Amino acid sequence: MSGNVMGGGWRARLGRSVLYITTFALALVWAVPMAWAVVASLRPPTDPLGRGDVWFAFPLTLENYTRALALAPFGQYYVNTIVVILMILAVQMVTITLAAFAFAHFNFPGKRAIFYLVLLQLMIPTTALLAPNFATIRALGLFDTRLAIAIPYFGSAFGTFLLRQVFLDIPRDLVDAGVMDGCRWWQLLRHIYLPPAVPTLIAFGLSSTAWHWNEFLWPLVITNSDQARPLTAGLVRFTQLGEIGAQWALLSAATLIVILPLFVVFLFFQKRFIQSFVYSGIK
Amino acid sequence: MKKSKRLWPILSLLLLALLALAGCAMPVAPAAPAGESTAPAAEEPVTIQVFYPVAVDAPIAQILNGYVDAFHAANPNITVEPVFSGGYGDVKTAIQTTIEGGGKPPALAVMLATDIYDLVNAGYIAPLDNFIAASDPAYIADFLPAYMANSTYDGQTWSIPFQRSAVVLYYNADLLKEAGLEPPTDWASWAAAAQALTVREGDNVTRWGIEFSSDWPYWLFQPLAIGAGQNIVGDDPAQVFFDTQAMRDALQFYIDLSQVYQATPPGVQANWGTGPADLASGQTAMIAHSTGSLSSILKQADFEVGVMPYPGREAGTFASVPGGGNLYILDGASDAEKAAAWKFIQFLTEPERVADFSIQTGYIPNRAAAFETQAWKDYVAATPQAQAAADALQYAQAEFTVENLGEVRTILHDYIHKAINGEMSVADAMAAAQADADAALEPFRQ
Amino acid sequence: MTAFARLQRRRVSPLPYLLILPTFVFVALFTIWPMLLASYQSLFLQRLNMARYRTPTFTGFQNYVELFNDDRFHQVMHNTLIFVAGTVPVSIVLAFLFAMLVNQALRGIGVARLFFFYPTILPLVSAATIWMFFFTPDYGIFNTTLRALGYTGPQNWTGNPNLALLAVMIVSVWKNAGYYMIFYLAGLQGMPVDVYEAAALDGASGWQMLWRITFPLLRRTTLFITTIAFIGAFQTVDHIFVLTQGGPAGASTVLLYYLWEQRFEFLNVGVASALTVVLIAVLLIFTLTNFLLSERKEDAHVG
Repeated sequence: MSGNVMGGGWRARLGRSVLYITTFALALVWAVPMAWAVVASLRPPTDPLGRGDVWFAFPLTLENYTRALALAPFGQYYVNTIVVILMILAVQMVTITLAAFAFAHFNFPGKRAIFYLVLLQLMIPTTALLAPNFATIRALGLFDTRLAIAIPYFGSAFGTFLLRQVFLDIPRDLVDAGVMDGCRWWQLLRHIYLPPAVPTLIAFGLSSTAWHWNEFLWPLVITNSDQARPLTAGLVRFTQLGEIGAQWALLSAATLIVILPLFVVFLFFQKRFIQSFVYSGIK
Repeated sequence: MKKSKRLWPILSLLLLALLALAGCAMPVAPAAPAGESTAPAAEEPVTIQVFYPVAVDAPIAQILNGYVDAFHAANPNITVEPVFSGGYGDVKTAIQTTIEGGGKPPALAVMLATDIYDLVNAGYIAPLDNFIAASDPAYIADFLPAYMANSTYDGQTWSIPFQRSAVVLYYNADLLKEAGLEPPTDWASWAAAAQALTVREGDNVTRWGIEFSSDWPYWLFQPLAIGAGQNIVGDDPAQVFFDTQAMRDALQFYIDLSQVYQATPPGVQANWGTGPADLASGQTAMIAHSTGSLSSILKQADFEVGVMPYPGREAGTFASVPGGGNLYILDGASDAEKAAAWKFIQFLTEPERVADFSIQTGYIPNRAAAFETQAWKDYVAATPQAQAAADALQYAQAEFTVENLGEVRTILHDYIHKAINGEMSVADAMAAAQADADAALEPFRQ
Repeated sequence: MTAFARLQRRRVSPLPYLLILPTFVFVALFTIWPMLLASYQSLFLQRLNMARYRTPTFTGFQNYVELFNDDRFHQVMHNTLIFVAGTVPVSIVLAFLFAMLVNQALRGIGVARLFFFYPTILPLVSAATIWMFFFTPDYGIFNTTLRALGYTGPQNWTGNPNLALLAVMIVSVWKNAGYYMIFYLAGLQGMPVDVYEAAALDGASGWQMLWRITFPLLRRTTLFITTIAFIGAFQTVDHIFVLTQGGPAGASTVLLYYLWEQRFEFLNVGVASALTVVLIAVLLIFTLTNFLLSERKEDAHVG
C-alpha cells in the first residue's frame, strides 16, 4: 500500500502537503539530538556552552575529532568490532537456521520445553550474566579475545524465534511435495525452507549488528587489551569523565566517529533493509 | 539437487573454522601462572597489569604509557601493561568479576580511595605494611595527611594516593571585584555574595550566585558539615555522623541558598556536568566543584578565576574534602608481582613524576616533596590557582568512607534529596538517615 | 544405509535434537547455567563486603523475605511498572505513526526514515549524555523548546522527584520508537493492496480501512513488538546511570538498576540473585502468556 495517497483534486493535494509537513516536522524533532551532536562536535573546545549559545560557535573546528582520535585507537577498535560482529553473524546464521528448522519441521518429544528453554535467553539481564559468564570464558581459555566477546551470542533465541515463524508460514503442501520427491532434510531446508527466509536472515542480521555495535559492559569486562576491545570501549573514555563533568564537544565527536559508518550504511541500504523486513515474517 | 549436498559440509566447515579460531585466538597477554613460589627471584622477568580509569579530560593513557616506558628502561625485568578500564565504577566491576569468576586480577589497580573498606572486607586487596616497612620511612610520611586519611583500616595501610583531587569553591573574581566584594570568609558572607551576584531579568535568572550540584551529593556536602564543625565520618569505620547539628546546619544552609537567598536554583541540582562551563560563560558567579576541572575552567574563562576552600560557618574557618583514586595492590597477585607492583608504585610517586602528572592532568600533587620540585614551582608561578587548589587541602578531612559504603551512601543521598526537594524537614531527614544507616551498619559492628 | 539414516527411521529421530544442539549448547552455557546459578545463590546469604559472610551461608528464602519487606524494593517495583507501562505503549503508538508516515511515496522519505531510525544505532551511553545536556534547566534545548511552546512548569528534569523517571522514559521512547517502526513499516509494505482497493470501491473511509484492515492485519506485528519492547524495557539502564543514578531519592530506580546496585555497589550477592530471579519471573510470566495466546492457533500448523 505504498503511496496510498491518491493523486488529483485539491483535497488530495492538501492532504499530501499535510502529510509531508507532519512527516518531516516529526523527523526533524527526532533528529535534533543528532543535529546538535554534529554542531557541538565542531565547536572550539575552549568555548563553553551557555545560555543562548548552544549551537554553532565560531570558528568551526575539527579539533575535537583529532583529539578523540588521539585518545583512543579507533582504527583497531573498528577492526575488532567488525570481526566480532562477523563472527557472531556467521555462527548465528547457521545455529538459528538449524534450530528453527528443527522446531518448525519436526515433531519430537520435549519440543515445546526445549523451545521455551531457548527463549529464556531473551529474559535474563546482562548484569546477572557477568560473573558466571566470565567464569565460563575463563574455563574455555578465551579471556581477552574477540571470540570471548562473541561466543555468548552464538545461539540466538530471538533469531530462532523469528526464523521459526517464517518456516511455519511455509505451506505444508510444498514441504510434503518435497518429501514425496525424496528430498533429504537438508534438501528440504535448502530448497523449500531457506529461500523465503533469506530476508528474515538479513533483517535479523541487521538488528543483531545494531545490538552488538552498541554493547559495552560485557566487552569491557571480558577483554583488557586494545587488540580485543570494540568501539564502545573507546567511547566510554569520553562518557565517564567523572571528576570534571561532561565534555560534550569531545563526546559528540567520538560518538559520531563510532556511528558514522552504520549511519551511512543505513542511508544507502535502508530500502533493502526494510524490504528484507517486509518478507521476514515479522509482520 | 546437486548443489544442496554441499550445504551441510560447508556449514560444518564453517563451524569447525570458528572453533579453530577459538583455538588460535588465545589471550593476547600471556597471564603469568598463579604464584606458588614464595621467594621472588629478583632476576626473573615479571609482567604486571595495571587497571586504571580515566576521570579527567587529559590523555591519561598517553601519560601513563610514557611513565611505563621510562619504568621499563630502569627495570628491564618488569613489564607493566596499563589497561584502561572505563570509569571508576567499571574498574571495580571488572576486578570484582575477574576475582569472582576465578580469574587472576591485575597486580595493581587505581580505584576510588573510598572503596578501601569494601575492598579489604571482600579480600580483594593486599596490605602494604611489609613494603612500607622495607622502604624509607620518609617516603610514606611525605604523603599529604588528608589523602592518607583514606588509606588505613584495621591498623594497616592498604593504598597509596595517586590521582587525587579536592572539593573547592571557584569564583569569578572579576564579578566579585565589580560588586565590591571580597572572597567570602564565612557562611554569612558567602551567602551574601551569592545573593548579591545573582542577576534577574523579570522572572528569569540570567546569572546565579552559585551552582552547587546535589544529585550525587555526599562529596560536595561534606565540606559544609566539616565547616560546621563535625565531619560525617570519624575514626570508627562503622560509625557515621548524619544526625548532628553540623550536618543539619549544613543541609539547612544549602537549602537557604535557594529558599532564603534565592542565589541558587531550587531542588536537587544535576549540574555537575554543566557547572564549569556555566562559570566560564558567566552564567553563575561561583561553583562548588572538583579541583580536577581547574584546567578546563581556566582554558574557557576570559576573566580572573578564583579558587578557595569552602568558607566555614565561623569567620576565618575553611573546609574541604579530598577525592579521587588510589593505587591498590591486588591480593590475587603472586609475591613477585606484588613486589613489582610496589616498585611501580614507588616509581609513579617519585616527586618529579607526581609533579609532572599533576601539571599534565590537573590533579593535586599527593606528596609534599612534589611541591618543592622546580617543575611545580614554575607551574604555579604561571597558574597561581593550582597552588590555591592545593592549599585548600590543609583544611580537608577524611572523605566519606564507611563499612558497607554503597548502602550507607545511598541512604545519605536519599535523605539529602528528600530534604532538598522539600519532602521531609531537615531534622526528620537527618534523623531518619542516621537510623537507617545505623541499621545498615549494625551487622558490621559485631 | 548408514546408521544415521537408520536412526532417522525410528519414531524418535535424533535429528531434530542434533539440529538444535548447537543453539542449545550456547544457550545452556551462557544463559541457563547462569540462571540456575542465580536461583541457587538466591538461597544463600552472601555479602562480599562482610568478611564473615563472604562465603555463602544457606538461608532458605530469607533474601526474598528481606526484599519483600524492603520499602526500596516496593518503590523500585512501582517505578518499574510505571516505566514499562509508560514507555511500551507510547513507543509502539509512535512507531506505528512513524511507519504510516514514512510509508508514503514522498520525496526524501529515506531521510525521514533515517531520522526516526538512527537512535537505534546510537550507543545509549552517548545518547543519554547528549540528552543530559538537553535537560539542563534554563538553557538546555529541551527546556528552551518547551518554553517556546508555552510550558511554564519545572525545568529541573533529572533532579525533580516527579520528573526524573519521566526524563529517562522520554529518552527510552525516543531511542526505541524508530526501531519498532521498522517492523511496522515492513508489515505495512507487505499488506495486500487488493484488499484496500476493494474496500475503497465499497466506499470505506481512510479511518475505516485503518480500523478494519490495517490494525487486524498488523496484529501479529504488534504482538511481536510488544514482546520485544516489554523485554527491552526491563533490560536497558545505561541512560539511568548517566542521567539520574536512580535518583533523586530512588525516584528513577528501576529493577535492573537496583539489581546492579545490590550486586556491584552493595556487594550483596544473595539479594542481587533474588532480584535476578524476580526479574526473570516477571518476564517469563508476561512472555509465556503472550506466546501461549499467540501460538494456540499456529500449533496445528506444526507437522
